[in-house]
Amino acid sequence: MSVLQMILIALFIYLGAIGSIVGNTIGWYCLGRPLVASFIVGLIMGDVQTAMLVGVPLQIAYLANVTPGGAVAWDLSYATYIGTATALALKGTVASTPALIGLAFTGAGLGGVVGGTMWGIHYSLDVFLNRWAERLAEQGETRKMWMPNVLGGQAIGFLARFVPALAILAAINAAGSSSGLNIPGWFITGISTFGSMMAALGMGIILSFLVKKNIHWAIFLAGFVLVTYFGLNTMAVAVVGIIVAFIVYAADNRQEAF
Amino acid sequence: MAKTVSARTLRNSFNQWFFWNGCSQQAETMLGMAFGQSMSPVIEELYDSKEDRAAALKRHITLFNTESQVGSVCNGIAIGMEEQLANGIGTPESIQEAKVALIGPTSAIGDSLWVATIIPLLLTISLTLSQSLTNAPWIGPVLYMLVYPLGTYLLSWKIFRTGYKAGLEGVQQFMATGQLDKVMEAVTILGLIVVGGLTATFVNASLNLDIKTTAQVFDAATETYTDAVISVFNLDNLLNNVFPKIVPLALTLLVYYLYSKKNWKPIAIMGLILVLAVIVTIIGYIPGIGAFS
Repeated sequence: MSVLQMILIALFIYLGAIGSIVGNTIGWYCLGRPLVASFIVGLIMGDVQTAMLVGVPLQIAYLANVTPGGAVAWDLSYATYIGTATALALKGTVASTPALIGLAFTGAGLGGVVGGTMWGIHYSLDVFLNRWAERLAEQGETRKMWMPNVLGGQAIGFLARFVPALAILAAINAAGSSSGLNIPGWFITGISTFGSMMAALGMGIILSFLVKKNIHWAIFLAGFVLVTYFGLNTMAVAVVGIIVAFIVYAADNRQEAF
Repeated sequence: MAKTVSARTLRNSFNQWFFWNGCSQQAETMLGMAFGQSMSPVIEELYDSKEDRAAALKRHITLFNTESQVGSVCNGIAIGMEEQLANGIGTPESIQEAKVALIGPTSAIGDSLWVATIIPLLLTISLTLSQSLTNAPWIGPVLYMLVYPLGTYLLSWKIFRTGYKAGLEGVQQFMATGQLDKVMEAVTILGLIVVGGLTATFVNASLNLDIKTTAQVFDAATETYTDAVISVFNLDNLLNNVFPKIVPLALTLLVYYLYSKKNWKPIAIMGLILVLAVIVTIIGYIPGIGAFS
């Protein structure tokens, strides 16, 4: 990674964080999603193909990463930008795709913990901005109300995210370019196993959002056996799902649709 | 003449909310400062004296929280009520009460419908595209980057205007019709089928138990018996013959159980998956009974 590449990735880590300057819709819910994050890292590092190889499994594992009540224990933006960058920087040291995915999850674990800590700092320091906002409100300064929120909040947010991200990326880069780096085979097997098991995290948690009655388990299993018994790919399963959803909706509305 | 909020101010207020609602999130007032900021152009238009503006600003920087994309309905409702107040209808207290009353339901609908259903579903469709189109995996993220922000902006703006026009009662009436529930059920079924397919495709886990023995094997090429290592009992093959991919399914159901019934945090479950991965890797390396040995 060149210095410019590291700066760009660190910048996107900040933009994809919760409550960044571009708003949560474009930031946290778009730039911060692993699918998009890995694509952007791929663009910056000039290897979209490899980046998407790790981006899809990362997205599946963290599909259920939501933030009810603003409780960010796991910072997805930090995790997936660092994770993809780790996989791309160290790809010369491993041979197989599962190993590459394992590297990405290892990097994501490191990044996520640092990001979660940084979010905690941001969240605590922002409290002091309330005094500024109260003072402006007292004066009836309608045109300055953006300052504590955007200026103050983002100065703290940017420093808490951009600077540590740059430090981590520099460390990964140093590891990747040191010629003596020789990752043992058992470690590669271990992280590959971890990477392929992590998809269960996203699927299991998303199920707890979706399953509301017992019949829902049967529908979930139907999707499962469409792959295991009938050998459909995920796109075909999605098409079947859309058809069934339409039928259920029509039946719910008691329309004479068929 | 009755005071009204101009269309330009409405759009200005919405944009300030849409882009900067999370800028200064914290434990004391949550999104309070951001809400105050988005109300400031409205307050400037409705009130002329410094005292009136100060009073209005102060009641909008207090504690407020919601899922901000669907929660733009609260901003719309608050603007409608503030407009009425400027014309002498209602009280400042009723605006506060409405805002506090909206925190719960808008957070719940926003988190369950938008954040926990629509976003994962759209991501699933996009990543399926990336997975299927191996020569052009960029199509998935590009599709998501176009559809999600644009669609959410338009929807959030429509919800904001609905809140402004229909007011608190109008919005509550819509929520009571049950139309939302029917859409939710259909979307849930689509989600369940797709999640079932993704689980079978992407979750991989094996127990790596493969008991081997050394036996005399007839080698057809040389027509002699030679010593060879053969598998006697391969647990993963046995289980997959009973029900294909039963171990990944069991792991997924374990995550479900720990998250929704035992209230484990995702990071704790991740730690457990790491421990399980270490255990099955070690089993795999045990001489004689491991799959890798």
